[in-house]
Amino acid sequence: MPLSILLPMVVIGVAGIAVLLHVMGLSQPRRFADADEARAAWDREFPEIPANAATLCHDGSAALIATDEGPGVVWPMGADSTARRIDHARIERTTDGLILRLPDFTAPRIRLRLDGDETTEWLDRLEQSA
Amino acid sequence: MSDQITYPDVVNFAVPFFIAAILIELTWIVLKRRGGRYETRDALTSLIMGAGNVASGIALGFIAWGFFLVLWELTPLDLGTSAWVVLLCFVLDDLRYYWVHRFGHRIRWVWASHVNHHSSQHYNLTTALRQTWTGTFTFMMVVRAPLILLGFHPAMVLFCGGLNLIYQFWIHTEAIGKTPRWFEAVMNTPSHHRVHHGRNARYLDANYAGVFIVWDKLFGTFVPEQEHEKPDYGLVHNLGTFNPLRVAFHEWLSIFRDVTRPGLSLRDRLGYAFAPPGWSHDGSRGMTPEIKACHLARHPEDRDTPGFE
Repeated sequence: MPLSILLPMVVIGVAGIAVLLHVMGLSQPRRFADADEARAAWDREFPEIPANAATLCHDGSAALIATDEGPGVVWPMGADSTARRIDHARIERTTDGLILRLPDFTAPRIRLRLDGDETTEWLDRLEQSA
Repeated sequence: MSDQITYPDVVNFAVPFFIAAILIELTWIVLKRRGGRYETRDALTSLIMGAGNVASGIALGFIAWGFFLVLWELTPLDLGTSAWVVLLCFVLDDLRYYWVHRFGHRIRWVWASHVNHHSSQHYNLTTALRQTWTGTFTFMMVVRAPLILLGFHPAMVLFCGGLNLIYQFWIHTEAIGKTPRWFEAVMNTPSHHRVHHGRNARYLDANYAGVFIVWDKLFGTFVPEQEHEKPDYGLVHNLGTFNPLRVAFHEWLSIFRDVTRPGLSLRDRLGYAFAPPGWSHDGSRGMTPEIKACHLARHPEDRDTPGFE
């Protein structure tokens, strides 16, 4: 197939499907309903490191996980979720929460939207375990 | 020797069909409220990976093609271009696909290329298009060498490989449950391939087939989809990014970091590059057998059931 046909078809196709999905409301990120759901999301990624406790943030967009091997975070990946242990993270306080920078090419930056009290509490707990 | 044979570039010609099928699947899911899930960024990443795969084929395809033409010059055999030869080529190329795919899950060097196809936590027709950009660097084109040396023309081999990929497009869906029993017995189906994309311990390293599921049954890697255990799609450790560049190259970078760690023996370095994914010199990571063993320790009731036999 000539590139002059293939290229526009691919570009229009990709862009069109993306716009359609967004217009249909399929861009909403996952929210954890409660701490148990956040724990389940952690267990799904780290079944060998049980979660002792999960602290859900105010809008359910992330949870701080306590384990015997240190803290971790679960957060939405689109409609799904992922999780990381917080080892060697650089933690930056922002106006609306925290940014965690991990030495992990697959999750280099985790943006946590927290209210003021949550930010202080999460920052304390992450720095205590650092 | 018949050097001037040409076949249509079927994968590129299938692009309009791919787009139409995605729109049909999406409409079905939205109207019926079942049969799968779509999410914008996930789908966009998959589609960009697909476009990048086409681009990498255009940019790097000459390497494999040149290799095949050298083999074609070397071989004294020429099976011609009859329909029966094309059919035989298709079947044998599917056997080739089975082994390349199995290597793709069992050799980290090849997994580094293939991993991106498994990086979506969704399973829909866009997932089928989440294809590698770095396949050339796995050198898996050598697995096609026997076909060409046997007398199948390189253009025919690539044509059959393209048909194989097109077949595999439609099986990336949750909208189709099970097909008729005779079809499930012989062919790769959405049900069989959902298992392949499952990150559940039960489903790891199973169902490598492209078109014919009989290869898995023959070589002992077949696991049927279980009614009571829905596949959980994605990677054992899911990515925290939708960035296509990170999706495409993360495992290569990880190999580089592991291979260049200080204080390792040559054997260790080779292990990090070519042993199965999850291998580590100190046993600190888990490969599939360890993941399955850990699962059975937590769920002994699963012992001796499919995937744990």
